[in-house]
Amino acid sequence: MFYRKKITLVILFTMLIGSIAMGHTIAKKGLRADLVLMPKFLGILVFDQANEGAKEAHSEMKNPGKLLFLGPTPENSVAGQIEILTTATTQGQDGIMISNNAGDQIAPAAKKARAKGMTVVTWDSPIPSSDGEQLFIAQVDFNETGTVMADMALNIIGPSGGEFAVLSASPDASNQNAWNAAMKEALKAPKYSKIKLVDLVYGDDQSEKSYNQALALLDKHPNLKLIMAPTTVGIAAAAKAMQDEGLCDKVKVSGLGLPAEMVSYTMNGCAPEFALWSFVDLGYLSYYATYLLATNQIEGIVGETFKAGRMGYYTIEKDPTRDKGMRVLMGPFTVYNKGNVEASAK
Amino acid sequence: MSIVLNKLKSWEGFLSLILISVILVNSLNSESFLSIDNQVNLFELSIEKIIVALIMVFIILNAEIDLSVASMMGLSACTLGLLVESGIPMIPALGLCLVIGAMGGAFNGYWITVFKLPSLVVTLAMLIGFRGLARVLVEDRSIRVFPSWFESLGQQPILGPIPLSIIIFLGLLILALIILQFTGFGRYVYIIGINQNVALYSGINVSRVKLILFTASGFISALAGILFAARLGAVRGDMGLSFELDIITMVLLGGVSIFGGSGSIYGVILSILIVLYLRNGMSLSNITGHVQTGVIGVLLILSVLIPNLKKMIQDFWNQRLK
Repeated sequence: MFYRKKITLVILFTMLIGSIAMGHTIAKKGLRADLVLMPKFLGILVFDQANEGAKEAHSEMKNPGKLLFLGPTPENSVAGQIEILTTATTQGQDGIMISNNAGDQIAPAAKKARAKGMTVVTWDSPIPSSDGEQLFIAQVDFNETGTVMADMALNIIGPSGGEFAVLSASPDASNQNAWNAAMKEALKAPKYSKIKLVDLVYGDDQSEKSYNQALALLDKHPNLKLIMAPTTVGIAAAAKAMQDEGLCDKVKVSGLGLPAEMVSYTMNGCAPEFALWSFVDLGYLSYYATYLLATNQIEGIVGETFKAGRMGYYTIEKDPTRDKGMRVLMGPFTVYNKGNVEASAK
Repeated sequence: MSIVLNKLKSWEGFLSLILISVILVNSLNSESFLSIDNQVNLFELSIEKIIVALIMVFIILNAEIDLSVASMMGLSACTLGLLVESGIPMIPALGLCLVIGAMGGAFNGYWITVFKLPSLVVTLAMLIGFRGLARVLVEDRSIRVFPSWFESLGQQPILGPIPLSIIIFLGLLILALIILQFTGFGRYVYIIGINQNVALYSGINVSRVKLILFTASGFISALAGILFAARLGAVRGDMGLSFELDIITMVLLGGVSIFGGSGSIYGVILSILIVLYLRNGMSLSNITGHVQTGVIGVLLILSVLIPNLKKMIQDFWNQRLK
């Protein structure tokens, strides 16, 4: 009796070890999957970089299927994303990777795609309700983004304190909203008590609108010391606006930016400090997860671990920033300043 | 034979030729183009626009324009979201949205008929006004509160593979055809478009016709906004942004003169099919973004250019013959 129990335990234990070992999925190459990478819209450098990463992974996997990079125009982003997703479903694509700009409005189309057996993965910006989405490839922890933004604000404004404002992308980009919310949460800590968030405006990730919004912020808040733009388009536009107006001594710019676009502003002091992650890696990791899901090598459940080529092992976990939904967390942040920006800009 | 030839020479004939070639190229390019799923999808993706295009035909035939339709769509969708969110049951909320649509349209009509302001100016103001109101109402967020029956009405087929919105479109299409071709009101619409003064002195109540049209335009736009909300399951302030351009494009491409008085619903049906099929065909061939927009733009320019060129050439020949 006793032995039997012991044997059962041993068997169970072996099975457990076995299942963990099996959970470390290493991608089988050469399986066919037609995949689509969809950015928020076309013409944004970071999305092109993500496409580079996805292409790199695509050739590594020797996937005989096609990898398409399809996106809408900026003015037509929401309707365009829904249309591309619907068409991809009709075409019988095996998987799609979405940087969602349509909020929950894309959920019905995503659910239809899932019903047809298509793999739906989001990256960069998830579906808020996670309806129709199997997995979200998160660039960084969204709460950490809040802290990084708050820290940069504190660093730049200094211990004496002052006012700052956020120049965000579009109101329904769920990544932006999550970061802004996380930053507001982080700001509640006592060490940030002297820096004050006075406004939040949207530039819709369009250079001209962001530029004008940055200038409008100055008119509205004459004591503004910093514009925090958690978007690569917004931060570059705001920095340019401050430089053009000769205001870089008075109002600094920070947020999430691309070293190549920001290097001159960092060196001349307009944007002394900003942060980002690698979009090439994000595209690469998204591709691996999507390829593995589309070729049924992973199921997309919490606890599964897979190897994403040169980037190493990643585990699927519950997404703490949304009620439902799962994520794969990439991370980490790189904070850029005069010391390292030039090297990264090349 | 000569009847067929004459028909082909007309604008509708020209559009039919384009349509047939678009269908041919699409079917050769993609095997999924002719599938029922794809056909339903391509209509569904633009259903709100083509519903509003039907009433826009009347407005433009009347030598007027309504630029506020897309903003009204957004306003009605956002109002619906807000009402349901604040706990008002679905049915009264829907009714209220339609009333708001009709009232907004009547408001346009009031300034146009009573104060004789140009519709271009009035509805341009309301394009900004309705959109602004929609944005103020829901602020910078999206509202997702609709009961599941409402969402499935917008997303699931109810008759074979066909969803409710397409049935509504077909119903309105038949209604528009009947009114325009077979009723006195339809004739008034044409006569006013050809010459408003003549219509006035012939005893037609021009103001009444215009007021009815603009009220209907607001109502239909609100209805389209509701269908849009049901299809996407969530609303936000920028819903339907700049749809008015696509809608007007379809009507003008359909051969309705921007100066009023000439054009037919048949032409608009053809142009709707051309625009939708062209878009879908390009999407299926993985052409998206600016190229797609550009092709539709070229099509519109041609639609204005070709009739004018034709007329110029005809005039030139007629003069030579004299």
